[in-house]
Amino acid sequence: MVQINLPENSKIQKGKYYKDKTGSKNLRKVNVYRWDPSTDEKPRIDTYEIDMDNCPSKVLDILNKIKNEIDPSLAYRRSCAHGVCGSCAMNMDGKNGLACTKSHAEIKGDINIYPLPHLKVLKDLIGDLSTLYKQYESVQPWLKTSKKPEKENLQSREDRSKLDGLYECIMCACCSTSCPSYWWNGDKYLGPAVLLQAYRWIIDSRDEDRKERLKKVADELKLYRCHTIMNCTNACPKGLNPAKAIAEIKKMLATSNI
Amino acid sequence: MKNNNPLSPHIQIYNWHVSSLVSISHRISGVINYLFFIFLCIWISFVFLFGQHYNLFADFFNSIFGKFFVISIIWSFSFQILSEIRHLFWDLGYGFDLKISNITGLCVIFGSFISTVLIYFIGRGII
Repeated sequence: MVQINLPENSKIQKGKYYKDKTGSKNLRKVNVYRWDPSTDEKPRIDTYEIDMDNCPSKVLDILNKIKNEIDPSLAYRRSCAHGVCGSCAMNMDGKNGLACTKSHAEIKGDINIYPLPHLKVLKDLIGDLSTLYKQYESVQPWLKTSKKPEKENLQSREDRSKLDGLYECIMCACCSTSCPSYWWNGDKYLGPAVLLQAYRWIIDSRDEDRKERLKKVADELKLYRCHTIMNCTNACPKGLNPAKAIAEIKKMLATSNI
Repeated sequence: MKNNNPLSPHIQIYNWHVSSLVSISHRISGVINYLFFIFLCIWISFVFLFGQHYNLFADFFNSIFGKFFVISIIWSFSFQILSEIRHLFWDLGYGFDLKISNITGLCVIFGSFISTVLIYFIGRGII
C-alpha cells in the first residue's frame, strides 16, 4: 500500500553534533542517519564536522573516518571498497549508490547519508534485505538442465554476449530500494534487482527451463508492478539497466504463447 | 526480528529524476482524464436533455475558472498522449538508455506545454 508518511516510530529526530577537534579550515558537514536497537529512542540525524584535508575521495572514506576517529559506535556494511561486493550500498545525497565508488566531491553542500530507502533498519545504516534475498531465491538463480552434461556446457559468442549487462549485477539492492513500486509493494513485487536476475537466467542459452521461468514470473504483482519509473537504472552503480531487462521479459511474454 | 525497527526514509529523501517526475505525472494526468470523461458524459447528456440552458455551461467555460479548467484538461490530455507514445516505444524495447529516456522525458514535459498552447489557441480561433 502507498504510505507516504513514515510510521510514528520511524520519524527522524535531531541528533548530536560532533564539532571538529582537529582545527582544520577545510570542513564539511556530514549528516548521518542513526538508530540504535538497544534503546527505545527514535532514529536521529547526527552531524559530524569532517576535516576534508585528511580524507580520501570517497563517501566510504568519510564513514571510515567517522568510525575510526570520531564515533566508533557508527554501524554500516562495507567490505571490498572497490565497487565489487555491493555491501556499502546506501542513500547518499538523495540517491542510492555504493559509498565506496561515490566521490564526495560530486556532492554539493552538506553530505546526507541514509540507509537504503524503505527497509526495516537493523542499526544505523544497515537495512534488512532478507525479503529481497528470499525473492532472489524464488527465481531459482542457478542453471537448470535435464541431464548431466559430460563435458563443459559450451555457449556461442553471440549467446554469451546476451548476458552482458546482466551478469555484472552485484545484488547491492540500490535499484530495488530506489523503486517507488517496490516501496509500496515490496512484499509482492519482485523488484528490479531480482527481475534482472530472473531475466539473466531466462536469456541464458544453456538453461532448459526458460518456459517455466517465464511462467513463474508472469504475474500481475511479481512483474507488472514495474511502471518504467526508471529510478532503478538511474541508481545502478554498475551502470546496468534493470528497466530494460524487465521490459525484455514483458516483451517475451507478450510475443510467446505460454 | 523485533517489530519496533524503524522504516528507513524513502520518498522524503529520494531525489526526483526526470523519469520519475514524468511517471507520476502520467498517473495523475490519467486520473484527471478519467474524471474528465465522467464530466464529459454529464456535459453531453445535459446538452441533449436541457439544450435550452446551455448558457450555463457557456458561462462556466468563459469564466476565469472555466478557462483554467479547459487549459488544465488540454494539458493533461497532451501530457498523457505524449507520455503514452513514449511508453509504446518502451514496450517495443526502445529508448531505455538513460540519456535517451531523459531526453524523451523532457520532450514529453515541454511538448505537453507547447501543444497545450497550440490547441488552446487553435480552438479559440486565435491562430
